[in-house]
Amino acid sequence: MSETSIWIMIAGVSLVSILPRILPVALFSHYEFPEPLKRWLSFVAPAVLGALAALSVLAPDGNIYISFHNRYIWVFIPTLLVAIKTRSLFYSLLVGIVTMALLYNFM
Amino acid sequence: MQKQELKQGIKDSIPIILGYLPLGFAFGVLANDVGMSIVQATMMSVLCFTGAGQYIALGIMQAGGAVFTIILANVLVNLRYLLFSTSLVPYLKGRVPTAVGSLLSYGLTDETYAVSMNRYQNHLPTASYIAGLNLSSHIGWITSTLLGAILGNYIGDTDRLGLNFTLPAMYICLLVFMIKRKSDVFVALSSALLCLLIGYLVPATMENLFNIIIATIIAASLGMLINERN
Repeated sequence: MSETSIWIMIAGVSLVSILPRILPVALFSHYEFPEPLKRWLSFVAPAVLGALAALSVLAPDGNIYISFHNRYIWVFIPTLLVAIKTRSLFYSLLVGIVTMALLYNFM
Repeated sequence: MQKQELKQGIKDSIPIILGYLPLGFAFGVLANDVGMSIVQATMMSVLCFTGAGQYIALGIMQAGGAVFTIILANVLVNLRYLLFSTSLVPYLKGRVPTAVGSLLSYGLTDETYAVSMNRYQNHLPTASYIAGLNLSSHIGWITSTLLGAILGNYIGDTDRLGLNFTLPAMYICLLVFMIKRKSDVFVALSSALLCLLIGYLVPATMENLFNIIIATIIAASLGMLINERN
């Protein structure tokens, strides 16, 4: 790809990645959403996080990888337990990262 | 400008930056490999700030695809932000000026969304908090890209540091925090299952992340049905 094409590509990607984030806040802030829509939207965050968590553990490289050899699944277990027990992002990250490093280097 | 809020936002961005480090770094390295200059790789992270979208761009470039294909793929990948951004509106309304809120939404990503939604469960949103969180996360993304593009081939395998589990750990933990109602557990689990099932049945959705959008829409609707019945 030529130098110019790359810059055009970057500009295009910039536009289509920024608009969907900005437009809803810019356009909808003047309206009061109806109650049912608000209730529906209150489920968006748990749904998104459920999907992201599942994908990041069960498809760490973008392909579904459900296997004993998938380290992410093993690290998921202590991380979840610590998150529930301590309710601390810091300790959850610490346990997740350290367990992953140990598994990666010694297993 | 509320200093305390700004500080809190910056503090909350630290785990995000930690998670971006290996991802942005790898993007910088790969961008170099497919023929982007250091300036181009870094500017892409400045102007686009879309991890999945930027990786897809590299993949298509490597395969010899067209600019148009890359942009179209990015339309699909970034559509989920319509949903994220819309679900933030009820929180921001009346508390953060529309112009400021829109501008700061530039820094909306899966991660900043997860962290700020979590924050809004117990705190009112402020422009200073969003600025602290989104801008420092963005700076982290840009810096790690730059480092990757410059140092690329000098540093070996970053996986051995375990940092590749930062973002999964963050999603898991924030999900645990986010669960308040019984129906939230149901919504999260069904969304997880649906998202994998859709990805398995239609592999293209694993690329463009449409599985997240479809799973979210169905799971949120199921959640509403269940809540209504109880």
